[in-house]
Amino acid sequence: MAKPNTKEESIELHGDIWKHIQPGEVVLDAQGITKRYPGGVLANDHIDFKVKAGEIHAILGENGAGKTTLMSILFGLLQPDEGQIYVRGLQVRFRSPEDAIKMGIGMVHQHRKLIPAHSVLENILLGHPRSKGVMNQKLAEEEIMALAERYGFEIDPRAKVWQLTEGEKQVVEIVKALYRGAKILILDEPTSALTPLETDRLLESITNMTQDALGVVPFITHKLPVVLAISDEVTILRRGKVVDRLKTAGATEQMLAQRMVGRPVIFDLQKEPMEPGEPVIQVEGLTARNNKGVIALDDVSFTVREGEILGIAGVAGNGQHELAEVLFGLRELEGGRILFTGQDITRASVLDRWKLGMGYTPSERTEVGSIPDFTLVENVAMNYYFDNRYNHRGFLDYKGLRQLTEEIIEEFDVATPGPDVRIRTLSGGNLQKIILGRVLSRQPKLVIANLPAQGLDVGATEFVQRKLLEARAQKAAVILISEDLDEILSLSDWIAPMYEGKIVDMIPAAEAQKDDIGAMIAGIHQEERSS
Amino acid sequence: MLLFLIRSLEAAMIFTFAGLGELVDQRSGILNVGLEGIMLFGATLGFIAAKTTGNYLLGFLVGIGIGALLGLLHGFFSITLGVDQVVSGMGIWIFGFGMTTYIGNPHTGPLGLDKLATWFGVSPFFYLAVIMVVLVWFVLNKTGFGLKIRSVGERPSVAEVSGISVTRIRYMSVIFGGLMSGFAGAVYALYYNPVWNYNFLMGWGFISLALVFFSMWNPYILFGGAVLFGLLWQLALNPQMFFPGLASRYIWRMAPFIMTILVLVLISSKWFRSRWGATKPESLGQPYHKE
Repeated sequence: MAKPNTKEESIELHGDIWKHIQPGEVVLDAQGITKRYPGGVLANDHIDFKVKAGEIHAILGENGAGKTTLMSILFGLLQPDEGQIYVRGLQVRFRSPEDAIKMGIGMVHQHRKLIPAHSVLENILLGHPRSKGVMNQKLAEEEIMALAERYGFEIDPRAKVWQLTEGEKQVVEIVKALYRGAKILILDEPTSALTPLETDRLLESITNMTQDALGVVPFITHKLPVVLAISDEVTILRRGKVVDRLKTAGATEQMLAQRMVGRPVIFDLQKEPMEPGEPVIQVEGLTARNNKGVIALDDVSFTVREGEILGIAGVAGNGQHELAEVLFGLRELEGGRILFTGQDITRASVLDRWKLGMGYTPSERTEVGSIPDFTLVENVAMNYYFDNRYNHRGFLDYKGLRQLTEEIIEEFDVATPGPDVRIRTLSGGNLQKIILGRVLSRQPKLVIANLPAQGLDVGATEFVQRKLLEARAQKAAVILISEDLDEILSLSDWIAPMYEGKIVDMIPAAEAQKDDIGAMIAGIHQEERSS
Repeated sequence: MLLFLIRSLEAAMIFTFAGLGELVDQRSGILNVGLEGIMLFGATLGFIAAKTTGNYLLGFLVGIGIGALLGLLHGFFSITLGVDQVVSGMGIWIFGFGMTTYIGNPHTGPLGLDKLATWFGVSPFFYLAVIMVVLVWFVLNKTGFGLKIRSVGERPSVAEVSGISVTRIRYMSVIFGGLMSGFAGAVYALYYNPVWNYNFLMGWGFISLALVFFSMWNPYILFGGAVLFGLLWQLALNPQMFFPGLASRYIWRMAPFIMTILVLVLISSKWFRSRWGATKPESLGQPYHKE
């Protein structure tokens, strides 16, 4: 390979390798990729895989299987200890994302890499060779619109990114990567923040892309239906190793899950029929604003009884988060009333709500749910410091708390060296188990679980869901906020889809149809009604 | 009366130079509260250089040079070492205050050179200031380089994955900021008030800093604010001219700061944010560490 003299030249040079590409030819070939982290953890252990032009090659694995490491290596964020990467037969070494971008690799991150204050156009142009000197925004806009149209994306280049929904932001990222000339597109958990409708549309666009001989590599955790729906081939990772590589045609969810987890997975949770008891929480006309001062919760009313799970379904940003905060006294109410076991708690403090028997597991596990530099015992104490069993006239009973923590670790199967380590050393799944454990150990009358299984791997998800069902079996009322419709459908007794701060409908689980709910949380039913 | 207006505009041009530098600096995410110190250095060293050699040009060059150097120093502390930017900036101010007093003391007194020429009654630097305002606005909003500066100030990690060196862009911005402040100081000492005295800058660096917040990071509003602050400052020198007997000049001098606080209250209000979105660079004052 001749060494290019200038930046411009190198772009041109590398552009050349993408000429005359044939569908089906190997465009990305990773051989024996190995990455060892300090401390001896083998994150990637001789991983091989090939991506062909015009093909969708899914990589499946649980959290901690080494997907993120592999992805970072392919995009130049990390350097492999061993192994080679070939792009169209040319051996490459990526020292930074810039090198990878120049070789035609584009990446769409799970956590959006966009600047909210800037326009869509500015975000797409950032770092693009076209943006040298004075930007020709008009020309760029035309090119971007043409590109978006080709793959069926809807995009408004003049909109500011902070005004967009998650799905729209993702489209911007994909278009950005394509506009930079990506021929191999790496998508990190592409459907995790999308509604079912947005997911369908995205999958359609991705399928369109492959007709242009683009290689697409989606990294997916446990969205098995997505893998089956779009991919041609799938590589399954477990503990840093490739455990299987197969054609998707003919594979089943059950079989993929088993290969990924390493043991059979039960998809159907055992939900015992329950006789609903007394009302635990009744809310009427709850109205509140979000942090931007806009009405986010609009006249919400419902009742949850003993032994019932109410599933609040919806896409992030439709008021579910504000609802959880309002119920727990963390956000000011503009209007409405909350009754807890018949008692008006609209103005009660958070502490009073704990004492009355409410429990809350926040979605922000490291910001609100725990104090990272405190030990497990101290974090458990955060939900018990006011409890007379552990607080003797202002003195905390650390001995008792330590024992309690050990019990939670035992019962909730938390993997930790002991109760005295800092909580930041725990993995996401174990952190969630301890947060849930300390709330459920109080035997609350009401549990508000805000995105309890989000981002957890298959095993931890199943565990958390089972524990919520156990709480229900002990006559607790549960408000489950989730963006995962399958989770909502399998756990809830009642389902309340939310859209733009309103509860669209209240559906008994027996009558719930996934498609209907998917349409409701995308706001489609509402439009039909009003027209 | 005409003289009053001219002096106001000339004060405004000095606020504009220093403010523009700081504006670019802040758009890239670096807060430099040591503006006063850099201006003092530019003013004092520029003054001494011009006085001892009799060469104005050399005076300005020395002002620009020391400004750039102090900008680089602030960059080293806040970008490379990741020190708290307020602490580093305050350090530069205190250092500048003490050091320039020590260096400048033997040179106390007037410059003793012919006064610089004017164009249509106003210093040519005023026209330069107007050109700079348009130029900075254009670069920030219409060029790829400006987009990089703004992106680095909003979300450096995003800029990094887009293939931009955050460190390089921030260094360039912070050096530009220092250079402009040093130049503003030199203009002050060689033209506006060519008499060296203890603390003769009287807080103009802080006024320029306040101006950047007042401007909501927009060069045009910054220029408008500079003219307004220039008028207020002149008013503070002779309050009797318009309002005989109403408050002392020391009270009047606070006016620019009071107005800045009012603007800050306004832009942090819920009403303003929900209407205009966030205007402040999101990562202002936060050190960036590559992952």
